Amino acid sequence: MENNVHINKAVNVVAFYFKNAGPAYRQAGSRLKCFPKRMEYDGRRVEFTETGLRHPVQKGKSLVHVFDMTDGNADYRLEFDAQNLDWKLVSIADAFRA
Amino acid sequence: MHSELNEEQPQILHIDLNSCFATVEQQARPSLRGRPLGVTNRLTANACVVAASFEAKEQGVKVGMRLSEARDLAPDLIAIETDPPKYHYVYQQLVRIMKSYSPKVSMKSIDEGIIDFHGTRENINKRPLTVIGYEIKKRLRDDVGSWMRCNIGIAPNRFLAKTAASLHKPDGLDVISHTNLRKTLAGLQLTDLTGIAERNEARLNACGIYTPLQFLDASPKILRNRAFKSIIGEDWHQRLRGWEVDDNEWSTKTIGRQFVMDDYQAPDEKVRSRLAHLCESTGLKMRHKGFCARGLAVYIRYKGGDYWSSRKAFKSSFFSNSEIYRRATLLFNQHPRLDYVVELGVTAYLLEPSGTNQVSILEDVNKEVWLTEAVDEINQRFGNYTVTFASSADAKGKIKQKIPFGSTRYFELLIQEA
Repeated sequence: MENNVHINKAVNVVAFYFKNAGPAYRQAGSRLKCFPKRMEYDGRRVEFTETGLRHPVQKGKSLVHVFDMTDGNADYRLEFDAQNLDWKLVSIADAFRA
Repeated sequence: MHSELNEEQPQILHIDLNSCFATVEQQARPSLRGRPLGVTNRLTANACVVAASFEAKEQGVKVGMRLSEARDLAPDLIAIETDPPKYHYVYQQLVRIMKSYSPKVSMKSIDEGIIDFHGTRENINKRPLTVIGYEIKKRLRDDVGSWMRCNIGIAPNRFLAKTAASLHKPDGLDVISHTNLRKTLAGLQLTDLTGIAERNEARLNACGIYTPLQFLDASPKILRNRAFKSIIGEDWHQRLRGWEVDDNEWSTKTIGRQFVMDDYQAPDEKVRSRLAHLCESTGLKMRHKGFCARGLAVYIRYKGGDYWSSRKAFKSSFFSNSEIYRRATLLFNQHPRLDYVVELGVTAYLLEPSGTNQVSILEDVNKEVWLTEAVDEINQRFGNYTVTFASSADAKGKIKQKIPFGSTRYFELLIQEA
């Protein structure tokens, strides 16, 4: 059974930003790409090893970017408000590991 | 009508993201990869599995099954609720990739689309379509994620392209042309063909047609007069030979919304609140498409299995939520109190282009237009159903717009709501 814990708290995130990342056909007009690298939550440091999916979500008129990240042990859902530059940890899912 | 095979070079490319929602969930959450996964609209035992991962399908799980049945087959199945914004993002990426090759792109559903390369091969897309197909696969992996896979089928018409796309799941690329058509069909069953399910198979069997090759060799006269008893038979004759008969744009005839009750013993007040919400949803869809309607239908399914429906064509057209609800209530009040209501539906028909941008000489009509526009604007800004009927407030948290199986016509509304 899935163990999905809703957190919904502001967190500190260290992120890398890359411009024109990827192959040539994607570079024209591409924007700055953001990749969360590290998060501090509940007194511990989480190092992300992989970005699952990054997708924008419209909340009324404002736009937030949702990042599904993993550190190899659990999956983390982060939200980045591009207007206020705030990071929020939405949920942590684990229990899929044997 | 053509009796020979279409010998044109294949120009139709069909892309299908098989197990789309499950694959997207596995892309988003690496810990789900390689595990049996079922995506459902609600996490309840009776919820329908709308997508199953390939690992789940290997254990016998099928789309459309109840979650409880799926768990019997795959005890370690992981169930996840649908997340529309994720699928919308992947859909947008897929459309963007497809439109970079040809302006003639049509999406058949959330997870499949067609690129028509006619007229683009001389100057833009000079490379073979198989090369373009492999490039699309790579771009999907680069732009969305490394777990994303798609099937690609290339053929002279839409039907054969879709058939080609289903030959080697989950990451195939196949071409069907006049040179290998018979060989390809020889390896298929009748029900492997899109559009041939049990009933059509029975129709064909009754005419002595048991295989796709016999179907291909059947005369148009037999297909039209005996098998399908309509022009559909001739369409099949053409379709199987690679001639295009499916390049149609269908106009919207009806707009509506249905809901299976969250409470199978709901009192009348609760049913009416669901009805009010369905009317709001129908109104929202109508205005989104720029329509008003003159006809309205309400249907009910009772707990005992009986159905009741009523429809009425009105003299005046309507577009506002309050008018839809008023007219739906007139119809709803006629229903016999046989049993508890378990399913409810509202459908608007006799659609016509909305004339709300024309100022009326009647002040009341103008007020209704302005009020509706103002409420829609608030809801657009703060999310759908922010301003809603007091009577439907209770239903707001219960009725959620979920991922539709087919059409993508209301995807923007769905995202607004999500």
